[in-house]
Amino acid sequence: MFLDILFMVDSFILGLSTGSACLLTCGMVMFPYLLAGSADVWRITADLSIFFLTRLTVYFLLATASWYFGQVLFMNPVVKSIVPGILYIVFAVMLIWYSISRKRQLQCPSGFVTTIDNRRLIPILLGVVNSIGFCPALFIILTKGASESTLVQSYKAFLAFFIGSSLWFLPLPLAGKIRKKKVLQTIGILATGLAGIIFIIKGITSLIGGLINE
Amino acid sequence: MKKLKMITGITWAFAGLILMFILFPGMNNLSMSVSKLPFMKINPNYNGGVVAKQIVEASCTLDIRKPVFDGLLKERKSGFVQIDWRGTVPDNIVDTIDYDLDEIPDFTITIDRIKSTTSINAMSSKVLNIGVSTPTSYGWAVRVNLKK
Amino acid sequence: MNNNLVSTSMEKSFGKSLLYTLPMFLITFIFISGGKVDFSNLPAALAIVVTFLFMNILYFMMHYTGKTDKFRVILFIIFALSLSFTLIKNMMEMRHSMSFSQADLLECKIPFCHLVIPMMIIPAAFTKSIIFPGSVIGGFADISSMIILWLVATLVLGRGFCAWGCFYGGWDDGFSRFRKKSVIKKISESWRWMPFAVLFMVALTAAMTLGPTYCDWICPFKAVTEFEQISSVESVAKAVVFISLFLSLVVVLPVLTKKRTQCSFLCPMGAVNSLSNKITPFVVKIDKKACSECFKCVQVCPLFALTKEDVKNGKASVFCSKCGKCVDVCSKNAIHFGIKGVPAGTMKNFSRNLFLFVSFLFISVFSAGSIINAVQSIFKLLF
Ligand code: SF4
Ligand code: SF4
Repeated sequence: MFLDILFMVDSFILGLSTGSACLLTCGMVMFPYLLAGSADVWRITADLSIFFLTRLTVYFLLATASWYFGQVLFMNPVVKSIVPGILYIVFAVMLIWYSISRKRQLQCPSGFVTTIDNRRLIPILLGVVNSIGFCPALFIILTKGASESTLVQSYKAFLAFFIGSSLWFLPLPLAGKIRKKKVLQTIGILATGLAGIIFIIKGITSLIGGLINE
Repeated sequence: MKKLKMITGITWAFAGLILMFILFPGMNNLSMSVSKLPFMKINPNYNGGVVAKQIVEASCTLDIRKPVFDGLLKERKSGFVQIDWRGTVPDNIVDTIDYDLDEIPDFTITIDRIKSTTSINAMSSKVLNIGVSTPTSYGWAVRVNLKK
Repeated sequence: MNNNLVSTSMEKSFGKSLLYTLPMFLITFIFISGGKVDFSNLPAALAIVVTFLFMNILYFMMHYTGKTDKFRVILFIIFALSLSFTLIKNMMEMRHSMSFSQADLLECKIPFCHLVIPMMIIPAAFTKSIIFPGSVIGGFADISSMIILWLVATLVLGRGFCAWGCFYGGWDDGFSRFRKKSVIKKISESWRWMPFAVLFMVALTAAMTLGPTYCDWICPFKAVTEFEQISSVESVAKAVVFISLFLSLVVVLPVLTKKRTQCSFLCPMGAVNSLSNKITPFVVKIDKKACSECFKCVQVCPLFALTKEDVKNGKASVFCSKCGKCVDVCSKNAIHFGIKGVPAGTMKNFSRNLFLFVSFLFISVFSAGSIINAVQSIFKLLF
């Protein structure tokens, strides 16, 4: 019962735990560009909205694509349990590794926006880069999208992930004022590791389910 | 300013001392007041929810509780209904239950208390399976899993 | 210089120490025995007298020797052991097993512990109910009493609760003192934020599932209290988690690191108590003028609460449990119990006396019930 409910909300939890670390690495890079040259609240809101909309659009595209591939590749119900089970475990281990490794790359992939001249493009580009960044959490959610039985469920998973991770970006205009950035980042990274554990359990459950049905 | 801070600090420390003094002798009253706070009741997912219908028989009472679907913000898609047999419960129980009180039977439950076996015959598509079936201090309790 | 030869100014003469112990003696006598001891039940009366005298001797020694942690830890460990003993004894008498049954869950008869509090806040706000199968009031370890006890303790002592009140902390505190020297020395300070991450995750999952996630799936102390009956694959998995976390974080790692690893790296309540350290009146301060920067205090702190920066800044971090280990080890008497707002290096004796009185009163009265119970059982066994 507990696991059933937990696995219903795991995408949101994953988004929420990784979102904090994500904001505090990428957010800090994005912040000056989103707000550059304008103190206008409307402008900030517009830029943030475009950023969110871009992320949401990319996630819906990814949800559709992952579900489609899941349908094509995992036609056999046993394969549909075993392959995602293995993928969950692998990506969750990567996520935990990312959270505890000292050598982890905290550099944000969106750093390249510094080189772009067109200011209007910046929130869109940031939205795209932020949603398709090379991140184990995204791989996990792609796996989830692929193993859902209906497209709507895949959308729901991505939407929950989007909402969870976006919550952290809402106070972005205040990011410069957050005092304990380093502490929040550390907690966020450690929480990401713990979210990884949930997906390892999910992976193991899915694997056992698949093997029993075999 | 320094002096003010100092006085505030020391006053707070003495307030702590007084709090500690009150704590143990006042424990009963304090906990009684806490227990009256609006959120101090056990969630239906744990206590089984309120009794919706009671059927009184000669030696045994049957309580059908209100189905529990409680979630954080809204009701969940799946839940359970708890049935309690209180008093002198027979060794073999066979009861047909209408949990949603629509006058249409929803399931029949059969319990063999000696062998500790329970089976269910669902008559409604909303009835899933047995969640818990256990002897209790007051008799026997069963939770039947449901969907909305 | 030989540290043993340096006297700490916290020491008191025999007479003065007795005088300081007298109020504690009287108050604990009234609080513990209700003002009278019934000698018609001899083992029970003896257990009360022994416990009460033993506690007051410890308190006297704190004043007489000027050492805090050395005597605190004795009571703290005995509290942890006797509580587990009492709980297990109750369970064995009532149910002939250390596990609770489905019926106990359904009838809401599970003893409540303070570790549930951080998980019940969000659900209580949204559902106006408690997500725990315990008794709201009345019975053993009811929810209302535990909330009040913890609330007052955390308000007054902050994370001091973790050295003067928690009936679990004594386990890893005890194991962290097994060896003279640590085997594992280098541990990144970042890990001390782990309890906040755990708090974040358990609060979130508890809210989403309306279940006390930490108790259900993580709590290492289930291994020495009570846990779910082994009746399914899920319950086996849980038991494996409880026992392995207990062995690793409460036994093996504390022995190897000389740190309280469970409390430093896992317990979500530790995180909440650290937050309340921000409001509590008592703190551990460092008199920078007296400090020789030997950093012995940093080395001995069992909760990673002191870094070299903290010492240079003149106060322990929010992780401090006011256990007094660092204070005991400081040969310059530079690190001391203090009161917020009072400058470091001043009113040291006053602050320590006040803090000791408050914290010792809490632990002695809170622990008395289970210690008396354990002592009584030992008497019954012996005579
Ligand atoms: S950290 Fe947790 S287990 Fe340790 S003493 Fe504090 S509340 Fe108790
Ligand atoms: S700083 Fe000192 S008093 Fe605080 S936890 Fe560490 S050793 Fe104990």
